[in-house]
Amino acid sequence: MGPWERLPQLFAYGLVSGSVITLGAIGLSLTHSILRFANFAHGDLMTAGAYIALGFLLVFQRIPALRGHFGRLSFGPAMIPAFLLALLGTGILAIAIDRLVYRRLRRARPVMLLMLSVGVAFVLRNLILFSAGADPYYYSHRIQRAIHILGVRLKVDQVFIIALGFVLVVLLHLFLTRTRIGKAMRAMADNPELAQVTGIDTERVIAWTWGIGAALAAAGGILSGIENKLITPQLGWQALLPLFAAVVLGGIGSPYGAMAGGMLIGITQELSTAFISTAYKPAVAFGILVLMLILRPQGLFGRR
Amino acid sequence: MEILVGILNYFVFFSITAGIYAVVTLGLNVQWGYTGLFNIGVAGFYAVGAYTSALISGPPPGSLDWRVFGGWMLPFPVGLLGSALVSALLALFIGWITIRLREDYLAIATIGIAEVLRLIIKNEAWLTNGVWGIKNIPSPLLGPIQGAVRSFIASHPGMPPWLERLLAGAYDWFYLLLVLGFLALLYFTLERALRSPWGRVLRAIREDEVAAAAQGKNVASFKLQAFVIGAALMGMAGSLYAHYARFLSVEKFEPFYGTFIVWVMLVTGGAGNNKGAILGAFLIWGLWALTDFLSGYLPLTDVQTGALRIILVGFLLIVIILFKPRGILGEERFVSRLLR
Amino acid sequence: MPLLEVRDIRSGYGDMEVLHGISIHVDSGEIVTIIGPNGAGKSTLLKTVFGLLKPTAGRVFFQGQDITGLPPHRIVQLGMCYVPQVDNVFPSLTVQENLEMGGFILRGDLRERLERVYRLFPVLRERRRQRVGKMSGGERQMVAMGRALIMDPSLLLLDEPTAALAPNLVTQVFESIQRIRDSGVAILIVEQNARQALEISDRGYVFVDGMNRYQGSGRELLADEEVGRLFLGG
Repeated sequence: MGPWERLPQLFAYGLVSGSVITLGAIGLSLTHSILRFANFAHGDLMTAGAYIALGFLLVFQRIPALRGHFGRLSFGPAMIPAFLLALLGTGILAIAIDRLVYRRLRRARPVMLLMLSVGVAFVLRNLILFSAGADPYYYSHRIQRAIHILGVRLKVDQVFIIALGFVLVVLLHLFLTRTRIGKAMRAMADNPELAQVTGIDTERVIAWTWGIGAALAAAGGILSGIENKLITPQLGWQALLPLFAAVVLGGIGSPYGAMAGGMLIGITQELSTAFISTAYKPAVAFGILVLMLILRPQGLFGRR
Repeated sequence: MEILVGILNYFVFFSITAGIYAVVTLGLNVQWGYTGLFNIGVAGFYAVGAYTSALISGPPPGSLDWRVFGGWMLPFPVGLLGSALVSALLALFIGWITIRLREDYLAIATIGIAEVLRLIIKNEAWLTNGVWGIKNIPSPLLGPIQGAVRSFIASHPGMPPWLERLLAGAYDWFYLLLVLGFLALLYFTLERALRSPWGRVLRAIREDEVAAAAQGKNVASFKLQAFVIGAALMGMAGSLYAHYARFLSVEKFEPFYGTFIVWVMLVTGGAGNNKGAILGAFLIWGLWALTDFLSGYLPLTDVQTGALRIILVGFLLIVIILFKPRGILGEERFVSRLLR
Repeated sequence: MPLLEVRDIRSGYGDMEVLHGISIHVDSGEIVTIIGPNGAGKSTLLKTVFGLLKPTAGRVFFQGQDITGLPPHRIVQLGMCYVPQVDNVFPSLTVQENLEMGGFILRGDLRERLERVYRLFPVLRERRRQRVGKMSGGERQMVAMGRALIMDPSLLLLDEPTAALAPNLVTQVFESIQRIRDSGVAILIVEQNARQALEISDRGYVFVDGMNRYQGSGRELLADEEVGRLFLGG
């Protein structure tokens, strides 16, 4: 099959990996627009989420009623509480890190916070490495057969990932537009000084930002684990370049832009494998990143 | 006596590596400490310098090698200059595209570059031999020095064993002198350069870009110069490393060893201070060696001790930035304290 | 007892002192305007009163309580709101959302409060689902003031509310300010459009170089020859 005929299939794969990237990119965009710095530890929040879920999964799988799997999916009832608890746990982790580390430098130059986040990234990743070891862990060993949908072949897991990604994005949208905190987050992203003047409790909004951003990242990490079957401590760090590319492509300061950017990066990366080696997928993301920074630094939908 | 010699030899080995890192840190200091360019892709330039030197001054591809390129066995100084040149050209190309970017965008771009370079080194085996690395890189004057030592030992049969052991490490002594000499030369050159009008412009740019531009300085051009010079230094450090270790593999240029640890060195010693850069390099490498030594006493697996050591360094960076962001020596003073 | 009392305030930015001992007061239900040349410290005073700047000396009393150095969100809770000169709305939020942000710290329903603001500014009711970023300067100014009024403050601080507005809009804004005062809110204004501001003010102060040079009722200041010559364009 020549490279051109593979494109629809690769496009479908792109939707899958795009969903994962999107979930990570939204959190990155939220913390960037509200806290004003590029969080280099965000990928490692994805990793943390994936591992926390794994921990809970192993616990819940001991309960006979929760074992097994849903139909053709690779996971079963045990994954539901594991997933939810992991999102909660990663959110709390991010808030704790903010309290301990970033909060002291609220008014500092973004570069100092960036440097701090690089330190946090290494510490977080190696804590996971220390606790869980370097070998990959498997969410499931189940082998799946693909189903045919709309002319492409996808595993049921992959369809699930696209669907869940979509659901989470919709939930986030509702949160940002219907809840007081959500609106306050958008307000702070617009103008943090005015938010203060208005009487908005900025620290509370910041805590929510970390919580939600990290929870979405955790979801992305877990879905990545379901997609690849295995998780390693490098999961998040490797995702960092596509994440940044997605945020820059979508536009700094726009979580909706990050959603679009995430899907576009995912799709482009997969499509590129028709023509170049898969090892260079991150390079493709990087190329798009640089292109955007030169041609249109505010991204497709950004304002700043 | 034997033990003393062992310690001494280890110290020499330690100092060589610390010295090489000091060169990298000085390069980063030019970029960040003096010009405010946030380069998280240090490992990229360091690696490029190392591989270039290996390809220029290293052995031709062997029968088991995947690579088909390079290995001209040219003298070490050619390799050294070649590594500086190639790193500089790479920095010129990258910098020309990215130098006008905001600080955090530049950081993202440089991390991407380092990652792309890492992928190339890992995958383009025809050039770099991929994950199998490049072996048998010659060290300068290795043969002659070892030959001289051997004949000296042979002509003095009654030599005590500890002296023999000491002399056996003579090559490393030579290399240490080479590295330290290079470091000293670098230090004095940089100190002079940074007190010159050129250096003043760099510092002005770091303080307030807009003001500097308003004074008619071509900010982008100066930034690019600093970026390129810093990269050349990193490349040369890579060359020094390649010809000492005699073997190159991708692991030594992973983000931690190639970039992160250098940042910790610079921040600890004091960004904006050449003495601080060198001090930081020796201190942090010393800490690293110490943790290596101590970890032998802990009942942990290799992976765990490795992770623990990195956690310690990461933690150190966080603590320093939060509580002593100027590092130990702080910024270099170019104006007398008495002048207010 | 005055609603707001400022005693011997010294304040500034970093090493630079801008206010060299300012004392003013505002009584309930009155409009007080501060005029003066650029750099005289007018905006600095508002920011110091509202807690955005910490004074180096002097005290600020609000409703009898010492509020010197309190952070803005505490001052908002006490019943004083501030409308900055620039960037005083959230551009990507709708009109209604901007107003809602004004009541962020309040529990419960904001509908009554929103109603009150919409009655004061009917135009905003029509456009309540529009994104503020796309609105004109005059309308944005209304949103900014409306946002501050959601908290039902006793004192409103306005920093150059008519800056960069067309003349007919300037009149509109001054009319709105009067309506706000009529609803029971005291207002402290810093203004460049000195003449029109003084015309609607009960009292005024003239700041020059960080000190209070003239004060009096609106009418007195308007009639004063020297004030007129120096600051009102003759």
